[in-house]
Amino acid sequence: MNKYYSLTRHDWEKSLANLINDFGIYAPLFYGEQQDYELIEAESIPHIVYNQPKPATPLKTFFMPVEENVVHIEPPPRRKIILGIPSCDLEAANIQDEMYLNRDYVDPVYKKNRDACILIGTDCHSIQEHCHCTTYGIKPYPQSNHDLTLSLFGGVIYLYTHSEKGAELIKEMEKHTTFHEPTENEIQSLLDKRKEVEEWLNHNNQGLPDYRKTGELVNQSNQEIWKKYSETCVSCGACATICPTCTCFLLMERPGFEKVRHLDACQYPGFEKVAAGEDPLSPLHKRFYNRYMCKYVWKPQKFESTACTGCGRCIEACIGNINKNELFMELANH
Amino acid sequence: MNNTNIYKPIKSKLLEVIEESPTIKTFVLKPEHNFNFHTGQFVELVVDGVGEAPFTPSSSPLIKDRIDITVMQTGYVTERLHQMKGGETLGIRGPYGRGYPLEKLYDKEVLILGGGCGFAPLRSLLYNLEAEQERVKKVTFCYGSKSPQECIYEPYIDELRNIPKFEVMRTVDEADESWTEQVGVATVLLDKIDVNIDDSVAVVVGPPIMMKFSVQKLLEMGYPEHNIYLSMEKNMSCGLGKCGHCMMGEYFVCKDGPVFSYDEIKDKPDIWK
Repeated sequence: MNKYYSLTRHDWEKSLANLINDFGIYAPLFYGEQQDYELIEAESIPHIVYNQPKPATPLKTFFMPVEENVVHIEPPPRRKIILGIPSCDLEAANIQDEMYLNRDYVDPVYKKNRDACILIGTDCHSIQEHCHCTTYGIKPYPQSNHDLTLSLFGGVIYLYTHSEKGAELIKEMEKHTTFHEPTENEIQSLLDKRKEVEEWLNHNNQGLPDYRKTGELVNQSNQEIWKKYSETCVSCGACATICPTCTCFLLMERPGFEKVRHLDACQYPGFEKVAAGEDPLSPLHKRFYNRYMCKYVWKPQKFESTACTGCGRCIEACIGNINKNELFMELANH
Repeated sequence: MNNTNIYKPIKSKLLEVIEESPTIKTFVLKPEHNFNFHTGQFVELVVDGVGEAPFTPSSSPLIKDRIDITVMQTGYVTERLHQMKGGETLGIRGPYGRGYPLEKLYDKEVLILGGGCGFAPLRSLLYNLEAEQERVKKVTFCYGSKSPQECIYEPYIDELRNIPKFEVMRTVDEADESWTEQVGVATVLLDKIDVNIDDSVAVVVGPPIMMKFSVQKLLEMGYPEHNIYLSMEKNMSCGLGKCGHCMMGEYFVCKDGPVFSYDEIKDKPDIWK
């Protein structure tokens, strides 16, 4: 365990071509300006995107699909490998696990989906405009919740095992390919790249309040700022559904006492409404404020893991151009 | 937990439907297997293919093979429920959450204040206290309803009045010529009670507005915040502290509640909404 392996990109791609017979492999592919996880077929292997943040949809959708029957549970059709997961998404799995695998109630569907996946994380070798993971104490390279780390650097694929599952996958691949042991210089180059990207992120996000301050800032704010920033909100819920840490869902009945779970968002009207009519989140700005209270005040009180990993997707997804980082800068400067 | 998949309900046969008032019915259910709950915990009652809603059982927690759920017709799930008849099958998930803190009521003068359909969960508590009456000093039950027709569990009121340690007082917002008890909102009864507040714990269940004014009055009377217990009504959907619909500050009402002491929740947002 915990060992570096290397192989040429050509050998890696040949190896993937073998693995797709036994695994459903999902990896980021570009379409237009966006990249997202796709089920890999032989012809798409050369087009896999390496080390670039970040797939449009977060990792959570593999564990919590948009819609899934939670009573009639289908066994996973075959094992999955998720390839190219950025650190922000891997860290987001911490709070998802706390929520869905807690000792009081283990969620059988989440567990089934989680267990069926081999997770291959990836170092970010570039950053996007709204990436700010380091502000929230997260490194731009995988730290937890993954089985292997993968980097493409100088035409060579580097793998690093992090778990038993990862080591087993290496063994599986060894049937068809030969790995090398990277030199110390090669490893040092990978580590230097990590440092470079981390410094780049820190530089880009100077002045942005970190996770130790965000809760206090939200808690001490007045309602005017929430009214101002929610002016262009249309309650589409994109910020919450695309968020790697948001966990809320809606249960819908199906005949035969079955239930289907849908991803839900606290930004939708009526989210907390009860049958008798009370609806504490009826005003739009209160719903908007509620999401920040949840992420930066209440979840930190209740869970050990962070409820925001600085991926920036909520900013990119917002059709009202609401920028959470601008909001925090304003809160910090008042 | 009563089964392994947390989302799978226990099928339960509807034995009988009792009309308690023009808008409130009690559904007597026989679950497929024995069902244990602590008084004040709630269940999700599932109407097949329609929806589910949270209710605190109104029967005694000491009865394991039958469960009563008293329901006011309010939304689309309860509308379909009110059309159901004996012989049909419903589902139950649960029990969920934290119920009434019985251990805090022992050796105390227990004041129970109920409003409207809030009597339903309190009946379960009253059954429990009735069975353990040697463990409490006294039980004062105050019940307020809109009208004499909306007063529920009439036969049970008579039963309670025959228990020496129990005192029952009732009021209605609007009386008719048949009504011989108090008139006014539920809190008017608090002026009439004979309770040693220093040795008392209060439990309040009812519509949010009734709970709000009851708490105000109890605080004025000298009840400490930690000795006032409330059963909160929020949009408790999953019952497991996961779906997020019932959040009240950092609490998941379904898992951390629904019963809270007032000091636990007084600073949380929108507790009366």
